[in-house]
Amino acid sequence: MKKLYSNKGHILLFLIPAIILFCGILIAPIVMSGYYSFFDWDGLGEKTFIGFSNYIDLFTSNRIGFMKALGNSLVLALLSVGLQLPLALGLALVLGKGIKGERIFLSIFFMPVLISTVVIGQLWLKIYNPDYGILNVLLRSLGLESWTRMWLGLRETALGAVFIPTLWQYVGYHMLLLYAGVKSVPKELREAAMLDGAKDSQINRYIVLPYIKPIIRISVIFAVTGSLKSFDLIYVLTNGGPFHSTEVPSTLMIDMLFLRNRYGMGSAIAVLLIILCFAFALIINRVFKEEE
Amino acid sequence: MKKILAMVIAALMVTSIIAVPVHADDPVTLTMWCIATESDANRPAYEQAIAAFEEAHPDIKIEWEAFENQSYKTKIKAAMSDPETLPDIFFTWAGAFLGDFVAAGNVYCLDDTYANFQEQLPEVMLQNASYDGGHYGVPLTMNIVTLFANMDLLAEAGWDHVPETYEDLTACCDALVEKGIIPFGCAGKETWCVTEYLEPIIEKTIGYEALNEVFAGRATWNNPGIAESVSTFQDMINKGYFDPSGMALGNDEVKANFIAGKYAFYQNGSWNCGEVNDAEGNFQVALFPVMNAENATYGQVIGGPSDTLAVAASSKNPEIAANAAFELGRDICHYGYLAGSGLPAWTPDYDTSEVKALVADVAEIVAAADGMTLFGDTAMSADPANTYLDYVSLVYGTEIDGQGFIEGLAEELQ
Repeated sequence: MKKLYSNKGHILLFLIPAIILFCGILIAPIVMSGYYSFFDWDGLGEKTFIGFSNYIDLFTSNRIGFMKALGNSLVLALLSVGLQLPLALGLALVLGKGIKGERIFLSIFFMPVLISTVVIGQLWLKIYNPDYGILNVLLRSLGLESWTRMWLGLRETALGAVFIPTLWQYVGYHMLLLYAGVKSVPKELREAAMLDGAKDSQINRYIVLPYIKPIIRISVIFAVTGSLKSFDLIYVLTNGGPFHSTEVPSTLMIDMLFLRNRYGMGSAIAVLLIILCFAFALIINRVFKEEE
Repeated sequence: MKKILAMVIAALMVTSIIAVPVHADDPVTLTMWCIATESDANRPAYEQAIAAFEEAHPDIKIEWEAFENQSYKTKIKAAMSDPETLPDIFFTWAGAFLGDFVAAGNVYCLDDTYANFQEQLPEVMLQNASYDGGHYGVPLTMNIVTLFANMDLLAEAGWDHVPETYEDLTACCDALVEKGIIPFGCAGKETWCVTEYLEPIIEKTIGYEALNEVFAGRATWNNPGIAESVSTFQDMINKGYFDPSGMALGNDEVKANFIAGKYAFYQNGSWNCGEVNDAEGNFQVALFPVMNAENATYGQVIGGPSDTLAVAASSKNPEIAANAAFELGRDICHYGYLAGSGLPAWTPDYDTSEVKALVADVAEIVAAADGMTLFGDTAMSADPANTYLDYVSLVYGTEIDGQGFIEGLAEELQ
């Protein structure tokens, strides 16, 4: 066996299937996207090499609306980190204390993650329906008729209306990650702090939070990159409308690739999404490392 | 010696694989993609047509798959970039949609096979699927934009007929609004539904020939008549003729509302005839009235044969597939017409006495049509079509006016 491990040829031989899969499924499509992004191509006919024009257009053309879409994604990322994660952390801390019905609450909060996004989209479409949707019905029943809106049909309200279910759906996901972290805090640490007279809030602040920092970092990375990649729920609820006000890079990419047949531009958006996700993951890692 | 023997056997095996002769009588399996999903109005027509075809040709089997409309557009375009993944026969929309595939050399020319079906299928019906003189698509049904009217609601507002002039239409809408009835329902969430309102208004203002020229890119969008049409449409919106919730609704919701009696009118494709005909209530079909009699007539319609079957150039059996496409197209048209899911692109040679009343009415309208303009988003290729739809959406949301519409499109598309 030792002889086998010392032979680099053997190691390479056994790694080949995994390398082929990794390159074929992950690396090759990225490289191909990068290649196509330098062309003006409708996906069918001749490709015309145009250098970085697609990238320049993405950042300079108002008509394409990439900056607006990217802005929407960044707002979603900000809300994810500013609202979704604190809520998930709060729930994880409460449940992690071992309250009565802990398992039931855990299942309930995690349920939206398990439900298909299309189903969630349909549910929220019904909630927002301007005529019979529960939101407007509730407002009307409270005498707040003037507050009723065509939530998904107005430029002013559509973005917020789309973000609420997007954030809501994954609170349970982050809660579960953080809950696992909270549960991994050694009992002895908690007990020692309690013996020293620390309150719950102090235990959370000085013991639990520093202990689960690596998990918080993972959650932040997932929240930010997830926001940049967000697609499915927005596609179901508004498909980027009205008037592109809820467009995010992924919906714009689909629009370019499959509705407008602009494969070069769509590929450029795909490449930028990959770069942005990596960049944000690295920045977040760096920020957490500096804090440590 | 052993080596030589092994090589000879291997060579024989390879040759036997490559050189198997294909006999005409050998069973053939043709693959087909379409959009006749379980919920599609055309599904029964496809099932009947395929069953009839397989019965008539026991040596040919059709393996078919149906996909949801929007995802199908993605799938077929993706498959076009690798033609080997295409099925033998595929559903497509005529006009620029199919034109892009033809230009890429991915579609089999049907001219030779068409000669066998010429008597049943008038050449004019192949017009939207013909490029550089060649025919590349078999039309299934044809459809036009139709004004559906709920006569019970019109009666409540004191109208016993569908208004035929614009003045009458506005008077009727005013009366409906006064009675608390919403005149029109339009799904703003699906912009093609908005074009079903806007395009007939433009056509009835500038005429079908002028609109065809604009859609084909031969005339400028910067046409005052188009700006005037947009203003007319927005006047109707501002007067409260349209459901104010429309911007947030999809077509299925709007159609359901119309059938349930929420709106007096619903303007959409004639493929809805069967469903509306079977719904409870008293419905009639008509066309949008003339806006400018100098340019347009009542009989000018938006639509034409668009739903099409085409054959992949990469098919292993292109001639068999081409013949199958024609036979299937003919029978889908036949059964679809009887079921009310479209008008016949093929000349009916069967008993049509049981055709649904609304379908028969639309067929009469088409028979008397003075001119046709293909749906704008079908007539234009993908990128300009979507820019056009963006502007139409802005018009429905009254984000831009007529001048902004024509100037914007003229700048971006020409």
